[in-house]
Amino acid sequence: MTVSAFLGNGFDDEPRACAAGSGAFADYDLEARFYDEVFQDDGTPRESCRKLVNSLSRASADELATLQEGVARRFVHEGITFTVLGATRMSEHIIPIDCVPRVLTAAEWDHIDRGLRQRLTAMNLFLRDIYHEGYSLRDGVIPHELVLGCPQYRVEMRGLKVPHDVYVAVCGTDVVRTNDGFAVLEDNLRVPSGVSYMLACRTAIKRAFPRLYRAQGVREIARYPEHLYTTLTSLGSWGRDPRVAVLTPGHYNSAYYEHAFLAGEMGAELVEGRDLVVHDAIVYVRTASGLKRIDVIYRRVDDDFLDPVTFRSDSLLGVPGLFNAYRTGNVVIANAPGTGVADDKAVYSYVPRIIRYFLDEEPILANVETHLCREPDGLAYTLDHLEDLVVKEVGGSGGYGMLVGPHSTAAERETYAARLRADPTNFISQPVLDLSRASCFVDGRLEPRHVDVRPFVLRGREDIHISPGGLCRVALRKGSLVVNSSQGGGCKDLWILRD
Amino acid sequence: MLARAAADFYWMGRYLERTEHTARLLEYQLTRLVDTPADQLALGWRVVYTTLGHPVPQVPTDADEAEVFLIADAYTLAGTLVEDVTNPNSMISCWSRARENARQLRPWLPVRVWTCLNRGFMWIRDCDFARAWAEGPAELALEAIDRLHLLVGVVDAMMSRDDAWRFMELGRLVERLQHQAVLLDTWVRAGQPSDGPRLSWSDLLRVCRAYELYRRRRSIQVRRESAIGFLVRNPELPRSLRFAVHRIEQLLSGIDPRGARYPLAAPHRMAIRLAASVEMDPGDEDQAPGSELESFSVLLRDSRQLHDLIMATYVNYPVERGLPS
Repeated sequence: MTVSAFLGNGFDDEPRACAAGSGAFADYDLEARFYDEVFQDDGTPRESCRKLVNSLSRASADELATLQEGVARRFVHEGITFTVLGATRMSEHIIPIDCVPRVLTAAEWDHIDRGLRQRLTAMNLFLRDIYHEGYSLRDGVIPHELVLGCPQYRVEMRGLKVPHDVYVAVCGTDVVRTNDGFAVLEDNLRVPSGVSYMLACRTAIKRAFPRLYRAQGVREIARYPEHLYTTLTSLGSWGRDPRVAVLTPGHYNSAYYEHAFLAGEMGAELVEGRDLVVHDAIVYVRTASGLKRIDVIYRRVDDDFLDPVTFRSDSLLGVPGLFNAYRTGNVVIANAPGTGVADDKAVYSYVPRIIRYFLDEEPILANVETHLCREPDGLAYTLDHLEDLVVKEVGGSGGYGMLVGPHSTAAERETYAARLRADPTNFISQPVLDLSRASCFVDGRLEPRHVDVRPFVLRGREDIHISPGGLCRVALRKGSLVVNSSQGGGCKDLWILRD
Repeated sequence: MLARAAADFYWMGRYLERTEHTARLLEYQLTRLVDTPADQLALGWRVVYTTLGHPVPQVPTDADEAEVFLIADAYTLAGTLVEDVTNPNSMISCWSRARENARQLRPWLPVRVWTCLNRGFMWIRDCDFARAWAEGPAELALEAIDRLHLLVGVVDAMMSRDDAWRFMELGRLVERLQHQAVLLDTWVRAGQPSDGPRLSWSDLLRVCRAYELYRRRRSIQVRRESAIGFLVRNPELPRSLRFAVHRIEQLLSGIDPRGARYPLAAPHRMAIRLAASVEMDPGDEDQAPGSELESFSVLLRDSRQLHDLIMATYVNYPVERGLPS
């Protein structure tokens, strides 16, 4: 049988032996404490996944393996990679991709969509407030010292008028599902990455399951770069086509592929700091035919390195004078400097209160229960329950520097406890979440693995756009709850159904 | 076009041309392994290494030793030019650098161009040189040439004729001009009358993929002066010096932001001068044998100066000069 033959026409719904634990899903074990994205508790497929399960049931393990290899090969050939800088050399890796898509219904997505819009609206209002009047600090919505003492709080931004008060134009929020429903695990408000993998996954999986894709009625995400361009250029007013640049730290950066991809798709310049020059508070790019003005910078460089005159003086990645040009209003920078204060893991625990304060609404998406170690009760609780908690550094990311209690040894916990006592303000703890599981093709079998999703939210001058999809991250190691690619995680396509 | 991207395109073109040049020379030399006398082979290696700017390998003069040396060490000599990552001019190093340039050019480069270049790189990176050698020493060079030609075809089909393409072409042709000048110089020196082994002029034409055209346009009997003149001035031959400088001049005319109006940009003026000197000087059949050498040296010096002018005008110009008026 050819690889394409098993795809069938994807339109029929003939009943098949495709319950969890049988046929192609013989190795698929359902556990009641984990919400399963594909099967119901009784082992039958969820309505939204019936066509997917039918298609997979027709495929042999060899055929699925061929599909999986084809997708991975395509990533290698097209250079859809991330870079790892070792001690002596740089190496390129592809992010592991699972060929089985995750499916969400229109109603489920609508809930997430509304929650994300609400959250980003509140965060932008919060950022404006803490850099201007500070009402939320005065009214005790969030402790004064937590905000002003946060390393990501930029005093240079105080009182500065940000175009249309859009501090966060591009946001990637990590959303998980447990048996209690959807919740936000963390907000990424500085330089969220992963959108190129979302689009690459979609292109690859569309090719792998062409008929099923069509039959399922999946919402499109391909126009994300266009929406990103519209969002960025909506933040200023020009009497001509504005010139947009994506500012990258360079090709040694792990997300360089994404920077190049987005610049290419938007028709923007891909620039490094050394390509830009500030003269009379105007930003220029060095072209082969002289200097040309830049109007919008989508920066993928952290605040610290943006401008050695204003921020870290040892930065080689930034542009001297860039912040001055920004302050003068001659260039738009997205996201604005100083947004990192709002995605600090300690500030995260106050987001529900921030939403209530600024919008007078109840949060649509819940937060994960969080204990702040800076508070005596939180520290005591964390130290007493280290074995059951996940402990993270407030400024950490990528799964580094965290302790996953249930998977740790006594020695590791002891070492971590010493770090906690030495600097409690630097840590938070959360319960180990029972992340939902979706079907994955691993080691030649269809098995459940834990997943989350990072949708990408764009906030322009007037509206919010959310691509119906996201980077669905998956913990490919059996039993693992860590979905970060640096910790053995991969990605899969996320299909949002039309209805 | 971003100045740094222009430089990357230019260097990408240069590295790809350099890889192909090395592959052609290798293919010539490795094809001869089977039936060429040892002393001629030794001379061939010296010419190949000199042309590519490598230290010339020491070759034994005793006939028996030379035979042993050439059979045993052809593998090593070729390996240095193919797979030695410590050699900055080996095929794998050049391919790798071209790919690094291309990685930084992803927003400007059609996906198919990148994929073709990347697959070629992965092929040479993963190639088992010993195994490829066992299948036929010249096969690997031929395969590399085919893959590079495929890439040239994909570039031709996929890329718009904008500055990105122009800078890449410019890099290829400046590299070609320099390589051809060095090759002609080296070959002419090796072909000076002596009692020792000499290289054939038809082989020079073959290395430059000019033999068939020469046969059709001139004669099956290859004369020294005629062959040199053909490789210098034939307008139809992609590897003639004339072809390269005229294409360079056209490309620079397209790149010039002032639309090639007076006063012309410095690289453009230099290219016109080069074109005139190629038209007039080297390989003139009326010249005394050996007098071309000085012309080739001047041409090489001027082509290096052209490279410096391109960089200074379009990439590393002072900020004050680049500000909009």
